[in-house]
Amino acid sequence: MEYVSGVCYVLGAAFVLLGAIGVLRFGDFMSRTHAATKAPTLGLILVALGTAIDLHTLLAVLTMVLVVLAQLFTTPVGTHMVARAAHGELDIDLDGDDELARDKLLWAAEAEADAAGESSTRE
Amino acid sequence: MINVALVMLSLAACAFMYRLLRGPTLPDRVIALDGLLATIVIGAILAAASSAAPLLLSTVLVVAVAGFVGTSALARFIERRGG
Repeated sequence: MEYVSGVCYVLGAAFVLLGAIGVLRFGDFMSRTHAATKAPTLGLILVALGTAIDLHTLLAVLTMVLVVLAQLFTTPVGTHMVARAAHGELDIDLDGDDELARDKLLWAAEAEADAAGESSTRE
Repeated sequence: MINVALVMLSLAACAFMYRLLRGPTLPDRVIALDGLLATIVIGAILAAASSAAPLLLSTVLVVAVAGFVGTSALARFIERRGG
């Protein structure tokens, strides 16, 4: 079992290192986001698995499950928020139409229409 | 095996740190900080495994959740500051 957890540790650390090299070497923001998010998450899962096998106490296993669940839920949400915020700030190459920019215009128009409707009912 | 993994994590932390210090834009820095925090979490898990100190494991959970709060706050800041 020692060898299993050791292999998990080294594999997990290797994934984190690959993600870090990606962050260092990729040319634009969205590529760096891709490298910085997915690889370290898999690395964390592997290291947590190795630790759970290594320590095999109930406390360690439950904490590792909680840490992995927390990371799986928070990483995509946080990265999505950052990428969405960067969309307004940076020039980003897109494959197709800029749907977020289109939607933002749509929402602004709707908000304006709502405000106009409210003021007319008040009068 | 743990020592090999810790050396790899140190190299990864150096790469994230470089991007955090040099990163041309603020979103790049935020993403690098997120990755650095994940590296720190993994390093703390490895430290807990090597010394069998269960107290460190609870610390790891707090750091993981606090990192999300920081990232989302920075994202809101970027959104409000930019256009």
